[in-house]
Amino acid sequence: MNGERGALTVELFGMARISCGRRELEIDVPLDGDMEGIVEALANACPALVGIAIREDRTALLDSYTFNLNGTTFVSGGEARLREGDRLLLFSSLAGG
Amino acid sequence: MYGYNGRALVVDLTARRTEWQPLDEDVLRRFIGGTGLGSYLLYEHCPPGIDPMSPENPLIFVTSPLVGSRLTTSSKFAVLAKSPLTGFIGDSLSSSFLATELKKTGCDALVITGRSDSPTLLSIDDGDVEFLDASDLVGLTTSQTELAVKRRLGHRRKVACIGPAGENLVRFASISNDGGRQAGRTGPGAVMGSKNLKAIALRGTRAVPAFDPDRLHEIGLDLTRRSLGPATEKYRTLGTLANVSVFNRLGTLPTRNFRESTFELADRIDGEALHEGHHVKNAHCANCTIGCEQIVQTNDGGPTARGRMEYESGFALGPLVGVGDPNAIIRASRMCDELGMDTISAGATVAWAMESYERGLLPSGENGGPELRFGSEDALTSTLASIGSREGIGDLLADGSRAAAQQVGGGSEGWAMHVKGLEMPGYEPRSLKTMALGLAVSTRGACHNRSSAYEADFSAKVDRLEAGRERGRITMEGEDFGAVLDSLIWCKFLRKAFDNLYEESAEIYGLVTGWGMDADDLRLAGERINNLKKAFNIREGWKRTDDTLPARVLEEPLPTGVAKGAGLAPDDLDMMVGAYYEARGWTEDGLIPESKLRELGLADVVGSQV
Repeated sequence: MNGERGALTVELFGMARISCGRRELEIDVPLDGDMEGIVEALANACPALVGIAIREDRTALLDSYTFNLNGTTFVSGGEARLREGDRLLLFSSLAGG
Repeated sequence: MYGYNGRALVVDLTARRTEWQPLDEDVLRRFIGGTGLGSYLLYEHCPPGIDPMSPENPLIFVTSPLVGSRLTTSSKFAVLAKSPLTGFIGDSLSSSFLATELKKTGCDALVITGRSDSPTLLSIDDGDVEFLDASDLVGLTTSQTELAVKRRLGHRRKVACIGPAGENLVRFASISNDGGRQAGRTGPGAVMGSKNLKAIALRGTRAVPAFDPDRLHEIGLDLTRRSLGPATEKYRTLGTLANVSVFNRLGTLPTRNFRESTFELADRIDGEALHEGHHVKNAHCANCTIGCEQIVQTNDGGPTARGRMEYESGFALGPLVGVGDPNAIIRASRMCDELGMDTISAGATVAWAMESYERGLLPSGENGGPELRFGSEDALTSTLASIGSREGIGDLLADGSRAAAQQVGGGSEGWAMHVKGLEMPGYEPRSLKTMALGLAVSTRGACHNRSSAYEADFSAKVDRLEAGRERGRITMEGEDFGAVLDSLIWCKFLRKAFDNLYEESAEIYGLVTGWGMDADDLRLAGERINNLKKAFNIREGWKRTDDTLPARVLEEPLPTGVAKGAGLAPDDLDMMVGAYYEARGWTEDGLIPESKLRELGLADVVGSQV
């Protein structure tokens, strides 16, 4: 880990968007960090997400939410492997209907 | 007997005669209820090769062992018939108190055959059947019909009816029930209309006891608690409309007749926007604690329209036809419900017509009407009205996109977006490869619900943009899981509330019926039911070439969004279809070996002919 940090844009959908009152927000995170750090940074940027999309202990998303990287890759956890300018989508994990 | 009545009521409209058909334990255990038991009854009552609009086509309403249990989401019923759209098995589900009322009349299923010689209202009061004149109901919309029936027979009645679309034999007509709920897909309302059956009015007082009501009550409370947790969060908040913004961002929102998979006006019509500007309240199905229904209302000062709005209706009457005004979509959806027709097939057929018009294959604005261009709200509503009445171009479109394209020709078959004649739902197969397979092989045509194959695509399990052989097993397992849900019957939106659907449902089945059933029995029942559906289709002439997707999907890459450039090569689809047959234990041609029929306990039902 080299500790390089970068700006990450998080796009919000569904109740995450409504509870935050915005469509997206930017967080500054270690690009080679783990998803837990990203979730914590997101909770700090928008505390309203805690209990809606983020667990109360701020370590992970609730089962009902998921991340998708740049609209192409679903992120299941572990290392983030991000690049400067990446966009992380946050939406319900309950597909379809 | 616990959990079941153990019999079906068979009504012959031609002879105005009824009889009770016993349903013994062996049949009920094998086919459970809902679409499973309905498939069994359809196979038995539908003579091979008949015209779906003929009197011989049975229209079958089926309850389930869980109906009446008060377990959350369990008040559902299935409607089956040979589909007038596909010529194959047609099954549709609806949630309402009609299910509980039907079961309380003393039957597990209602099988309607024949054809009345005049418009008829079928009254069933605790098993007493009357054939009443319905001449005064002809031409009424679905809500008008239901109200008129209740005024005549009492407001305690639960009513299923058709609107003008069903009367006019629109092949994607729905059956409206219990306050405007729709059994929409595959055209059951057209079959009802072909029988001169305008409405059914039910009243029942015979509750069916459960084997162990105390333990069932305990489990029911726990299930209710789980139904209010994260497992249903999306459905309890924005409902299925939450799909719009996500699908658009992922390049999976079919737009302008599947020419594109992103819609530039999506943020005007997505769940978040409707929640902000049009949401009136959430509503619940019968005995449901989730409450996913979004009741929305127009807000533009024009004629007020108010009603339920789901993703599929919003997609089909919005992006698919290029319309980005939420008020227009709400009005169009309401119009479909009142005319009594499936919003997906209606929107998709109008989308085919718009593209055909823009390519010069259909005439300009009939009788001074609006031009059939994508994005024209007036064209959408006027065309829907003409379909419901079968007037003008509506007569062509009322037979669905496949039949219309066959008649018009000019290459329009290539942009008739259907599978086996059933119009495609709002899932772009080029950017959802598991769903592509699910749509291609589904027995009822282009259906997302019977396999829920999209679930894999919206997860880290697979790369949704790449085809792969593993999709065969994923799709098969999704279909078998779905068949169990649709037969017990649970709402699909409850599926994540179970830790293990098969184990928990097997226990519940035992508590309701007193009959031992384990998870493997239930899993096998799901496989059996899907094989029976397939056997029905094979009997009706199914061939491997029917398990395919529209030419547009196989020939044109997506032009926009994050999935830009994604396509689906015919060889890749063929590979996945082959993998699916292999997972199912079928032949390379997709036929069911006799050994498989014996293994599943189907040989006595279908013989060795498949």
